[in-house]
Amino acid sequence: MVDENKDKEKTLKHKVGVYICYCGGNISDHVDVEKVRERIEKQPEVAVARTNMFMCSDPGQEMIMEDLKNGTIDRVVVASCAPSLHETTFRGAISRAGGNPYIYEHANIREQVSWVHHGDKATDKAARLVSMAAAKAEQLKPLEPIRVEAKKHVTVIGGGIAGLRAAKDLADRGIEVVLLEKSPFIGGQLANLDRIAPTGDKAAELVSDLADQVLNDDSITVHTCSTVESFDGYVGSFKLGVKKQLTEMDQEKIKQLGAINEAAGKFIPFAGVYNGATPSVPDEFTFETGVIILATGFKSYIPYKGEYGFDEYEEVVTLPELIRSMAENKATGNLMEYNGRKIRSMALIHCVGSRQIPGIHPENEGGYLNEYCSRTCCSASLNASNIIRTSNPGTRIFEFYRDIRTYGRGQEELYEEAARNQVVFLRFEDDASPEVTRNTDQAGDFPLIVKVKDTLTFGEDVEAPVDLVVLATGVEPNNVSDLVEMMKLPVGTDRFLLEVHPKLRPVELPISGILLAGTCQAPMDVGEACNAAGAAAVKAAGLLGRGYVELDPFVAQVDLEKCKGNGECVEACLSDGALNLVEMEADGQTVKRAQVTPALCLGCGACVGVCPENAIEVAGWTLKQYEAMVDRIVAEEVAA
Amino acid sequence: MNSIQKTDFDVLVVGAGIAGLQTALDLGDQDYKVAIVEKDATIGGKMIRLSKVFPTLDCASCITTPKMAAAAHHDNITLFTYCDVNSLDRVGQTVTASVTQRPRYVDPDKCIGCRQCEYHCPVYVSDAEQGGFSATKAISIPFSNAIPQIAVMDVENCMLCGKCEKVCPTHAIDYFQEPQQFGITAKTAVLTTGFELTPVSNKHQYGMGEIPNVIDSMQMERLLAPHGPYNRVLRPSDGMEPDSIAYVQCAGSRDKSMGVSYCSRVCCMYAIKQTMLLSGSLPLADITVYYMDIRAFGKGYEQFYQNAKAMGIEFVKGKVAKINEGGNGGVELCYESQDGEGVVTANHDLVVLSLGMIPGWNPEGVCPVSADSDHFIKSIMPKLSPTLTDMEGVFAAGTAAGPKDIVDTITESGAAAVEAAKYMVALERSRKAAA
Repeated sequence: MVDENKDKEKTLKHKVGVYICYCGGNISDHVDVEKVRERIEKQPEVAVARTNMFMCSDPGQEMIMEDLKNGTIDRVVVASCAPSLHETTFRGAISRAGGNPYIYEHANIREQVSWVHHGDKATDKAARLVSMAAAKAEQLKPLEPIRVEAKKHVTVIGGGIAGLRAAKDLADRGIEVVLLEKSPFIGGQLANLDRIAPTGDKAAELVSDLADQVLNDDSITVHTCSTVESFDGYVGSFKLGVKKQLTEMDQEKIKQLGAINEAAGKFIPFAGVYNGATPSVPDEFTFETGVIILATGFKSYIPYKGEYGFDEYEEVVTLPELIRSMAENKATGNLMEYNGRKIRSMALIHCVGSRQIPGIHPENEGGYLNEYCSRTCCSASLNASNIIRTSNPGTRIFEFYRDIRTYGRGQEELYEEAARNQVVFLRFEDDASPEVTRNTDQAGDFPLIVKVKDTLTFGEDVEAPVDLVVLATGVEPNNVSDLVEMMKLPVGTDRFLLEVHPKLRPVELPISGILLAGTCQAPMDVGEACNAAGAAAVKAAGLLGRGYVELDPFVAQVDLEKCKGNGECVEACLSDGALNLVEMEADGQTVKRAQVTPALCLGCGACVGVCPENAIEVAGWTLKQYEAMVDRIVAEEVAA
Repeated sequence: MNSIQKTDFDVLVVGAGIAGLQTALDLGDQDYKVAIVEKDATIGGKMIRLSKVFPTLDCASCITTPKMAAAAHHDNITLFTYCDVNSLDRVGQTVTASVTQRPRYVDPDKCIGCRQCEYHCPVYVSDAEQGGFSATKAISIPFSNAIPQIAVMDVENCMLCGKCEKVCPTHAIDYFQEPQQFGITAKTAVLTTGFELTPVSNKHQYGMGEIPNVIDSMQMERLLAPHGPYNRVLRPSDGMEPDSIAYVQCAGSRDKSMGVSYCSRVCCMYAIKQTMLLSGSLPLADITVYYMDIRAFGKGYEQFYQNAKAMGIEFVKGKVAKINEGGNGGVELCYESQDGEGVVTANHDLVVLSLGMIPGWNPEGVCPVSADSDHFIKSIMPKLSPTLTDMEGVFAAGTAAGPKDIVDTITESGAAAVEAAKYMVALERSRKAAA
């Protein structure tokens, strides 16, 4: 055995250190980590194999750094969770030990093993994956990251409160910003509200305040009526094509608002701040930008016809409609009025278009359910109820709810205040939604009846006769399918844009240089959206601060000795501009050879497969490395 | 961790929990020089002490340790652990802090974290890091992934036998170490002082912590952690594997009798998470959650709650009014049933109190920043700039500024970092204009 190993050592160039993580039980509950270590340590290229409770912890990283520093190893394999979590962590440790960060290979034995397999099979598979990684690591060569110039310029898409916050934060940080808003108004959905719970801040003031700052900032260029039509490039140097035009709907809205030109720069209730300068003819332009922040926001859920009587009975309205009516009709009489009708009694139904459950709620038009909580409607409903009960004390209110979610600072007080204001709460189970019906028995009196099995009174069947039913509608992400398509953005099952990791990288997308801000990611209230925008701004500033961005060097490389310039790789290339045939001198002759633009290359390997000369390879993923991996995975001894 | 040398920074971050670490990393990455002052012997805050985190069920260590390591190794970040902030003021355009380095009785420059002192120490003391369920030594490294890996002596319990001093290979033990005072100056400060659990000692209806087998949620985190005290979930009084476990929600939130009228935001979700983990480790146990409202409001949280229901966790609406000691180590809960049965008593083998959050730090007498009526640091612009306090150039993030889950804490920390950076840019501009 010893002799055999020695023989192999002669042909081996590198000493691999293998570090296997318990992940505090996440891995070791299903994989016999020590057994994997015993097996792997017998592999010829493995100089040392160690285990740790948490390899990503400081002592774990120190262990790797120590072995590198004292020359025990010169290649590193860590077997732990998915590389998306900690590949950069361990590359960083190698760098700190003075090594090249790309002499590193990662084996995922958590998501791909311990979370899906159990018992001996899990241990066997883990051993094979680790062995495969070690075989590849032995062949790894040091690489240098691709350094690209980063334009100190950020584009914010969406002129709602999150977009405004991000734009202003970046401008204050000394970065040029272009803000693109598709409508003629800035302020987004916040402009459609009145007083914001629980502080009572006026939406108009919040929007005007921030919009003023943005519009008067020399480093921010605001383009309204603008949509992104084309997208190109990479972090540090994206190219965006923008179309500026007034849609018919916008024209209509502006016409309705009347003398709008005098209002330029001012807040118009339930529209936003009008930026003036609407294009009379469509205009198109392109520009370069370093980072893109998506702040594309949300839209209010529209109930389907018949949902709690919506669109069937005119007395059924949504919460945004009620808020608008209250703002525009601030009568302080005994009874609230809605559309000129006195409201003696009103029902407010929670969770409309939110917390939908498969099998209980019907799917929406697109075949989906909004299974999430919309986060803001409980407080908004209670806020509306409290305002009504204070200014129109004769109007009785019944709130039909599942759980009251007044989670935020000062929100629980809204709930207590509503109880003091004698708002009547009725609670229903998930599968027993209230029913809204026409009141036929007592024609001419209350037009509607809301029936519910109230669990607060031991499941009693309760009927509330009302003049108005208000549906606390939830939020849905705005339709950004064009951007999703163009930029290849990941979308979650809830149809909101999906971050890389909610805790590790909460505002980032897998596409470097594209960030998320606000409700395009999940329901949020104003403060939370502004915080998210700030977090996106700080990431953008961090990315652009040094004037350059470093990209992973896993890109195609042409072997000019072998390349014959037949161009099949260029045909196969999936990224426009990443591969080109260029003329160059070789042996005194002008020939055509393939050339890679590294920043554009996806590293997908489509070119590798088609080259008849084997003249092109992806660095860090060479054919030789693949061969070593395949040999190892089909080998007998690892699984023994 | 070196002895104190440099004390002039761009930013002073108070508290090295996940909020402080994220703020420091976001600022350090922009080449600002950051000092983090932490009262504990290790960085990582509450998060590093958790088992797994909702709604992804990632292990808490997997998320926290890389951020801890990144901060510890960052060229622009300096850590001051085991330190108390005595005062934090603004003088002109400078934030000044007076700080006390508490003695570890171990020389931080010499200690190599080999743990020989811990292995040879003959004195066993209750290990607060394991919920008090197991023992540690009178000199020890706080836990295996603590940063820095420097031993701390528990002088209250040390009997001065001298064994640690003898075995220490680097002669790092120093029985005569004194507290050390030093000052830190910075352009701006971010308060990330975190939270503590609502004390249960003033709730006589819940036994004031005296009823056996009534534990708090942080203790359950330790029982569930794979490297926890028993390596499995056992009832502390007699080591029995519990067949029936109950969660008492809003124990220490939305409860004026405990002086906490607000919602603590995380207890519903951590309880749901713990019930899911429990049903993994004790598949046959009955698990019941007694709640007022389930507040699963974050991204993916409602789906997480519905999954727990589908897994067979029982959710009972009702605020537990009283907890009594039951027979055979059991616990008796009294609550008003929603089915019309009136006041009902239920018996369980183990009861977990889902305690809420109170501020981890009281600025009174230390720093002229204002707290709100809930005693958390007051935000002066809760909508547009939630991290702004009423003290110029001083910002607050995470649970220092109100209860918050980890996701919201991390985004808020980014927002605080951008506010601090903006403040420094403006400061620089005004200095240049004045010059």
